[in-house]
Amino acid sequence: MVKVSLTVNGVKYDLDVPPTERLLDTLRNRLGISSVKEGCGRGECGSCIVLVNGNPVHSCLTLTSRLDGAEVTTLEGLAPQGKLHAIQVAFIEARGVQCGFCTPGFIMITKALLDRVKEPSEKEIRRWLSSVLCRCGSYPLYFEAVKRAAKYIKEGKIYFDEKEVREKYHLKVLAR
Amino acid sequence: MSKPDYVEIVEEIFYKTKEKKTEEFKYVGKDVVRWDAISKISGQPVYTADLLRFIKNPVFVYSVRAKYAHARIKGLDVSDALKYPGVLAVLTARDIPGINDVGYVIPDQPLIADRKVRFIGDTVALVVAESLENAREAGELVSVDYEPLKVYLDPLEIIDPETLQEKPHELIHDERGSDILTRYKIRVGDVEKAFKEAAVVVENKYETPFQEHAYIEPEAAIAIPEADGGVTIYAKTQCPFDTRKAVANVLGLPFNMVRVIAPALGGGFGGAEDVGNEIAAKAALAAIRFKRPAVLLHTREESIIGHTKRHRTISWYRHAASRDGTLLGVEAKIILDKGAYASLGPFVAWRAVVHSTGPYKVRNAKVDVVAVYTNKIPGGAFRGFGNPQVTFPVERQMDILAEELGMDPVEFRLKNILRNGDRTVHGQLLDHGVGLEEAIKKAVELSGWYEKRRLYASLKGPVRRGIGIAIFYHGNSIGAEGADYSSVSVIIQRDGSIVFRTGLTDMGQGAIQGLINILAEVLGVPPHYIKVELADTSATPDAGPTVASRSTAMGGNATLVAAYKLRKRLDQLAASLLGCKSPDDVVIEAPKVYCRDDPSHTITWRELVEQAFWKGVPLQEFGYYRAPPAEWDEETGTGAPYFTYTYGAIVSDVEVDLETGLVRVKEATTVYDIGRVVNRTGAELHAIGGYIQGMGYALMEDLYYDSEGRLLNTNLSTYHIPTALDTPEKFNVYFVEAGYYHAPFGAKGLGEPSIVAIAPSIANAVANALRSREANKLVSKHPLTPDYVYSIIKKAGVKP
Ligand code: FES
Ligand code: FES
Repeated sequence: MVKVSLTVNGVKYDLDVPPTERLLDTLRNRLGISSVKEGCGRGECGSCIVLVNGNPVHSCLTLTSRLDGAEVTTLEGLAPQGKLHAIQVAFIEARGVQCGFCTPGFIMITKALLDRVKEPSEKEIRRWLSSVLCRCGSYPLYFEAVKRAAKYIKEGKIYFDEKEVREKYHLKVLAR
Repeated sequence: MSKPDYVEIVEEIFYKTKEKKTEEFKYVGKDVVRWDAISKISGQPVYTADLLRFIKNPVFVYSVRAKYAHARIKGLDVSDALKYPGVLAVLTARDIPGINDVGYVIPDQPLIADRKVRFIGDTVALVVAESLENAREAGELVSVDYEPLKVYLDPLEIIDPETLQEKPHELIHDERGSDILTRYKIRVGDVEKAFKEAAVVVENKYETPFQEHAYIEPEAAIAIPEADGGVTIYAKTQCPFDTRKAVANVLGLPFNMVRVIAPALGGGFGGAEDVGNEIAAKAALAAIRFKRPAVLLHTREESIIGHTKRHRTISWYRHAASRDGTLLGVEAKIILDKGAYASLGPFVAWRAVVHSTGPYKVRNAKVDVVAVYTNKIPGGAFRGFGNPQVTFPVERQMDILAEELGMDPVEFRLKNILRNGDRTVHGQLLDHGVGLEEAIKKAVELSGWYEKRRLYASLKGPVRRGIGIAIFYHGNSIGAEGADYSSVSVIIQRDGSIVFRTGLTDMGQGAIQGLINILAEVLGVPPHYIKVELADTSATPDAGPTVASRSTAMGGNATLVAAYKLRKRLDQLAASLLGCKSPDDVVIEAPKVYCRDDPSHTITWRELVEQAFWKGVPLQEFGYYRAPPAEWDEETGTGAPYFTYTYGAIVSDVEVDLETGLVRVKEATTVYDIGRVVNRTGAELHAIGGYIQGMGYALMEDLYYDSEGRLLNTNLSTYHIPTALDTPEKFNVYFVEAGYYHAPFGAKGLGEPSIVAIAPSIANAVANALRSREANKLVSKHPLTPDYVYSIIKKAGVKP
């Protein structure tokens, strides 16, 4: 067993983990964080992508035992309690969500992209988003979501009240 | 004979709203944010494997799979595996209390192989252990004594393509006495005469590949033993009622002791149809035996090896036409590479034969479809279900014919397509909305067809452009495959909120949203009043399987019927409460309810519901709809196989690099006649998502086997699906609305149609880019990988 202390979504955890435990399993099985999905376990699908110290990583290829002192962010930690991040709202508005299994991965890679590039070009968006697979084929709407999110962030609208978002969007008719 | 009330209701609403434009509806055809969108962008929906965190003290189940593609099992030694730490049991065929079979259509597929194995992927034993790692490792220690048999990977080793007779060989299904699973045919008119009289005859051989569903969520099942000796199973399944039947049979339990719940599905595309039965049965077996929750989780590799695929096909097509471009006759032989088990193969083969001549007026046809077993992963259900496999050759033939006749592919098609009042090749009269002509014309307009055809023909240099069209039709629902019914229940709660239940599942594409929109429209309540329950065999009514593009039309009809009946009762009550002239004058615009001529005098929806409660007006309703029976004559292939058809026209605009053979789709235009758009967002996502999946099928997806029958590409780094980088730059999506009178507001299905004609439209565009008569004929199979396209370029001598 290896002792690691890890901050996940702002909460500090002191863990005892087997040296070969994957970050994916630590998050899903030990910490009950279920937005992190396992689609392949081999770094191919991107549905397990989380941020470690701000960098996007495949949690299925990352060993928890190597992460002492690291800061991990998952979809659950993107916005403070009771808020939703602009990227999440943009993903609703862009209407791209289908089965949703890939969505957490896309949102996390978008976060990593927009942290680095404020107004990414179409080409950059495609290149970054190509690290996550969507078999439902929502790609073009996800590109749109990234552009919307960039716009919100540029306007300083980073967090949205979750209750208001629910009120405004849940099963509501969206104007085109 | 009088019509059932549900048919009358559907017709009444159709005719009442026939002239109404879709924009004029409140919720039908609108972009309603789907019921689970907010939970999905928050990562909250519970897919089967996510339930694991709520499960205490589980056992894990791992499938030990065959190492040979075709072999007899002479003996099985599990003693070493049993000694492995954490192992509780190794279950074999003998441990099955009920029937050892999970065959979907016919009983040809043991859950655990007993006598022989038929593909690398067959389960020979189940290890049950305290952890998944223990179970996997112990699985390596199960030793099977095999007597290898000859492996058949090519159906042409089993069937003679000339005579379509079975050749003598070592039978894969010796218990059936034949490796021909099914044969279907069409015999219409006088084909010989048609070919004799033809000015132009075009013939070619075509191949379409296997396709893996590659839903991003791998399969999972969790079974929980119940106190009464029964079992509850959460599983990735599209069809919980079919899964329940399979599990009950394996366990030897009555249906009411088995409860199957389908949590959120991370994609299905048809693939979650029968694998759901298998994984649920395996988990249930262990749960019942050990009286502990049992968990089965597939890795990507197990998923790819362990679930059915789109069938590969080999076909030979001959078409005859007159000089003026009229189609005179079709002759075709189509062989479905079945893989090891029937799965849904008989139904896939039937859908293939029904659609085998395309959406054209064909008076003379001779078609044979034969499904042949091989030692590969079984073919099963996949979006499109036999239709993409025949639409590819038909639409390629149309382009080759057009070239031979010196006609534009669009003009040639317009000369021969089905229109209102025509009869299909089966003799079925199309007495309602055939929106095909309009779809073609719209696709031509949106894609800039004529300018591009002209422009691309003159481009110079190593990078060519091409534009191609493909059209299709697709029978809605299951047709002559079986009983076609659907049901839902709607329960208005005392606070006015609504619970909606149906046994239909949502694979992710949002079909359920269409039902919500219909319910909201008819009742007059905003969609957010409605909560959808998970499909659950003990709590939701059986709505038939979630397959065959049937949710919107069939589930929609049942929803419409329930909503209509509730609305009638509430209108009656509201009229008396408000003093309206007649119940028909009641306007419900929840939360407001009023009489049409006095909008200022209102009661609230909640008050109305409360009054209904006290006055004994039932607030729950069951909606049922049964489709008109399909007709099919086995000898001639005539009748009325489906009650309605979705039509479509796809235009693909591609770039072909002559130096590398690389093909890229630049722009895609999809126009579908879906009768009426009920769920706009969902329809558009189908159009786009279906295109992208079809583009994968056209350009990159195939399964590769070694000579022993071992699949070589078992994960996503070797089985390539389209990524963000492959996505076309532009999509033009448009819907034609030629309504169908036996569907909710006229709506037809789009689930499967959205993939049917993508591959041929891309292939036709590639052929157009190559600008060579010889190359046109050589584009006869897909995927159009760079090496295949390059070989065509070389063979046809295409020069930059
Ligand atoms: S699960 Fe990590 S990349 Fe697929
Ligand atoms: S929405 Fe289903 S995989 Fe992307």
